[in-house]
Amino acid sequence: MILDIYKDALEYSAKDWKTLVILGVICFFSFLFLPLFLITGYNYRVINTAVHGIINGRDPLPEFDDLIGMFVDGVKVVIVQIGYLLVPFIVFLIFAFISASITGVASSALMIIGCLITFVLVIVACLMNQMGLCHMANHDGAFTKAFAVTEIKEVIDEVGWFNCIATYVGLIIITLVISLVVTAIIYGIFTLFGLSGAILGADLSGIFLLGALINSAIAMFIVGPYLSIFNARSIGLLYTMQL
Amino acid sequence: MASITDCVVEGLKYPFNDIKKLLCFGVLFALISVISTFIGFKSMDIFRAAVHINEMTNGTLSQIPFSQLPAGDIYIVAGLTIVGFIISLLIMGYQYDFVKFSIDKKDGLPGFGDIPAKFVSGVKYFIVAMAYNLIPILVLVMGMALVSESTILPLILIISTLLFIIAYFFLIMALNNMIAHDSLKKAFDFSEIIGNISNLGWGKYIGIILFTLIVMMIISVAISFILSFITILFAATVNNQAFVISIVIAIIEGLFIDSYMSVFFNRVCGSIYRESIK
Repeated sequence: MILDIYKDALEYSAKDWKTLVILGVICFFSFLFLPLFLITGYNYRVINTAVHGIINGRDPLPEFDDLIGMFVDGVKVVIVQIGYLLVPFIVFLIFAFISASITGVASSALMIIGCLITFVLVIVACLMNQMGLCHMANHDGAFTKAFAVTEIKEVIDEVGWFNCIATYVGLIIITLVISLVVTAIIYGIFTLFGLSGAILGADLSGIFLLGALINSAIAMFIVGPYLSIFNARSIGLLYTMQL
Repeated sequence: MASITDCVVEGLKYPFNDIKKLLCFGVLFALISVISTFIGFKSMDIFRAAVHINEMTNGTLSQIPFSQLPAGDIYIVAGLTIVGFIISLLIMGYQYDFVKFSIDKKDGLPGFGDIPAKFVSGVKYFIVAMAYNLIPILVLVMGMALVSESTILPLILIISTLLFIIAYFFLIMALNNMIAHDSLKKAFDFSEIIGNISNLGWGKYIGIILFTLIVMMIISVAISFILSFITILFAATVNNQAFVISIVIAIIEGLFIDSYMSVFFNRVCGSIYRESIK
């Protein structure tokens, strides 16, 4: 089942290279701060399509119309994410304050326990946050549904905690592998260039600079958008597995 | 019932319906920002003169006689403040119209005829806003004046801030109620205001306003980034002209951004009322 999700998501994200380039251009302008929300808004649309679709269905990629609606969706997504991540952050702060006020071995022991609890909470918060976004998308973007913790917990129970965590771990591994492999291929090519250049007696620094530039360009315009659509699609499909 | 998102998206798109009128409205904001820039420069001059006198006489600021301050500058500042106040009354009148158009669900932007009527509605808007903010201001001022102990002072600040926030949330619905019935009395009809809010749901009401404010905050942060880029560009090309640069930036901000934000916010406020009476 999980493999089906990956297969569908990998094919889905590669459907239209134009979308990837448009997303890449938006990502390039994200230093202007507003485009950041367009990217999250687009990911929300991908989740929305996936939640209302089926695995291996022929869903099209979302369009780039209605930019203002996309921006507002993006703001919602960011608020939900911040809301979930606030919980472990506050717990960490509480532990930090308590351990700062006491001294000796108890202080460091408490800090270690606090860090462990925060770590577990961060994982749970990430899980709940992604499922919360899917739950929100499933209920026509109602804000309260993103924080309806009991309902989301029921959804995760139905999908199965093991399935969820396995999917996430798989996602992280696939993301890392794809980006590493692409970088390795580009650097491999440019090392070959560099070596042949060195044999011919050319200046090496220019070739390395070009390699780094092309690497970051491909990472930004092709691989990054591809992976973000891939992740959003997988999580949306995971949500549909509850039935 | 439309969701929160729909209201906000509708509000964000609305100013683009008639860009000419939006820019005409922006001229008022541009005037206000230019005037406040001038006031800032002139008060700087007055302050510098005061400091200079202080250094000569070794006194404190409160001991300086009024006649020793530069009279021309003070007159200019006072005059500019009055002009600014009149323009902001006009702006409030337009905001009144924006909310009215939103409640009536009209797609166009209000026109620019009938300035005296705009002043009247602006004065109404101002009175209601002042009346709602009166209690927190009183608490703040009385607290500052009466309490000299430093331990209670933060508490008073917190209380008055809370009061300001509560007053702000009530003020929005009160203004809507006044504008919908077109009578000043309705702004203080608390049972109807509270009834409207609970009809919509307190959570949803506060949620819409907070969400709108967050969206506004994000947009203004982004715009200020862009404006600071422009400032750097100007500063690099036009040498030693800080005054010109700040005026140009103030005009740009007033013309496009402030007007857009104000129209957006008032549109959302109106649609909150429209949702609440359903």
